[in-house]
Amino acid sequence: MADLSLPRFAIFSGFKTRDRAAPIVPERSVAGRTLVLLIAIMTFLSGVTLGGVVLVQKSAIAWSSDVGREVTIQIRPVEGEVMESNLRTAVALAQATPGVAAARALTLEESQRLLEPWLGTGLDLSAIDIPRLVVVELADPAEADIAKLERDLQAVKGASLDTHAAWRQQLNVMAGTIVASGLLVLALIVIATVLAIIFATRGTMASNREIVDVLHFIGASNSFIAGEFQGRFLTIGFRGGIFGGLAALLFFFLIGVTAGSVVPQEANQQLGILFGRFALGLDGMFGILAVVPVIAAVTAITSRLTVRRFLQTTS
Amino acid sequence: MIEFSNVGLRYGQGPEILRDLNFRIEPGSFHFLTGPSGSGKTSLLRLLLLSLRPTRGRVTLFGKDTSALDQDQLLQMRRHIGIVFQEFRLLDHLTTLENVALPLRVLGEPESSYRANVTELLDWVGLGERLDALPAVLSGGEKQRAAIARAVIARPDVLLADEPTGNVDPELSLRLLRLFAELNRTGTTIILATHELALLDSFPFPRMVLNNGQVEFHG
Repeated sequence: MADLSLPRFAIFSGFKTRDRAAPIVPERSVAGRTLVLLIAIMTFLSGVTLGGVVLVQKSAIAWSSDVGREVTIQIRPVEGEVMESNLRTAVALAQATPGVAAARALTLEESQRLLEPWLGTGLDLSAIDIPRLVVVELADPAEADIAKLERDLQAVKGASLDTHAAWRQQLNVMAGTIVASGLLVLALIVIATVLAIIFATRGTMASNREIVDVLHFIGASNSFIAGEFQGRFLTIGFRGGIFGGLAALLFFFLIGVTAGSVVPQEANQQLGILFGRFALGLDGMFGILAVVPVIAAVTAITSRLTVRRFLQTTS
Repeated sequence: MIEFSNVGLRYGQGPEILRDLNFRIEPGSFHFLTGPSGSGKTSLLRLLLLSLRPTRGRVTLFGKDTSALDQDQLLQMRRHIGIVFQEFRLLDHLTTLENVALPLRVLGEPESSYRANVTELLDWVGLGERLDALPAVLSGGEKQRAAIARAVIARPDVLLADEPTGNVDPELSLRLLRLFAELNRTGTTIILATHELALLDSFPFPRMVLNNGQVEFHG
């Protein structure tokens, strides 16, 4: 049964009835709201950066994988050679190569369409000898014997093989640069967070000097006092981290929805092929959520170390 | 229990404010510490509380040379010493019960194990009806009794009090002194700093008189 011995307005008359003892470091004595906001912003920035890195890396891997599943044989017109015959030979050589799933020569119309972006439409190119392409799809890029195909193609005059290796390499370099930049930004955010927590902790210790002194006088160890302050900062770190993490997830959700609705569907599909989709996936979401306990831990550990240093210099 | 041998203390490069202190305090005794303002009473109490180290000489507490102790050992030893301040030094956001129980929380005892003992002690010092009151609504006398309760809740061997009656009226001063005397009867060694002559004359305890940085024993 509830204790009714105190009036209902007891809290306003200087009485506190509590189920358990109040924390030794009062919540209001720590620059709580400001720090929660700051940690939320830092977590949001970390989450967005991490999510961006995940998106770029996923897109790069997917694009590289798609490009890697295809090689192209180009056959230039050579005087005295019959193009159609060379095409058939190239297709046959490709199909005979281990690891090749399919090979198909682009028709003259398809080849002309590929030139339209440069030459414009409505031109009759039938009178001009243009290079022709054979698209070779690989069943398994790792297993495909590209070297053999390259050797075999030496029998076809004017034939050359394009494995898109230069594109893939450039893409990997670009993606790697973005990932490295993202990780650098993450590291800077963590450093900025640590510095902000150090300043906040120092301020808190200075304003709670009386509590620290009393605890020392009654025999509290530095470890005990640091633990009391660490607990308070851990709570703040978690609170700010959760707000920031959820905001980052919401940001990616809204970006995904907005991109889907603003860009026309066809263009959206092409953008998706080129740049990947604004879909983090489960691993990306877990990555962002994992930032929350990391930020909380960074907050708690930083405050503990700062408090211990403060206590060592003052006691 | 407490032994000072040729103890001297100075702050920074200033003059020695305590010098050549040589005395021994037996367990279970009660001493008044008196002397004019600025004579070094608070400094001597801080030496006894181990919050200051002497600049020379040796302080022995509970049979151990305190100069040989590291910080953790000093803190362990401090748990055997209770302290009452003139300005109470209760934590404003904690209730009377929580303030008094603080030394037990520091020792890691769960609330369920000490609540009954703290309540009983607060009853004994006349604060049984003020368990849930915050310091802001306590009178000076109530605050001082709460501070005394906090100092003795962990059953210290030595209780130090620095002008504990400085902020209360004469009648309450006498009542508080009786409380200290009662604690002394239970075996606690007490050193009580005061400069109130009326109090000194009311109780027959020996006096440590500080003058010019040196101590003399009377009675």
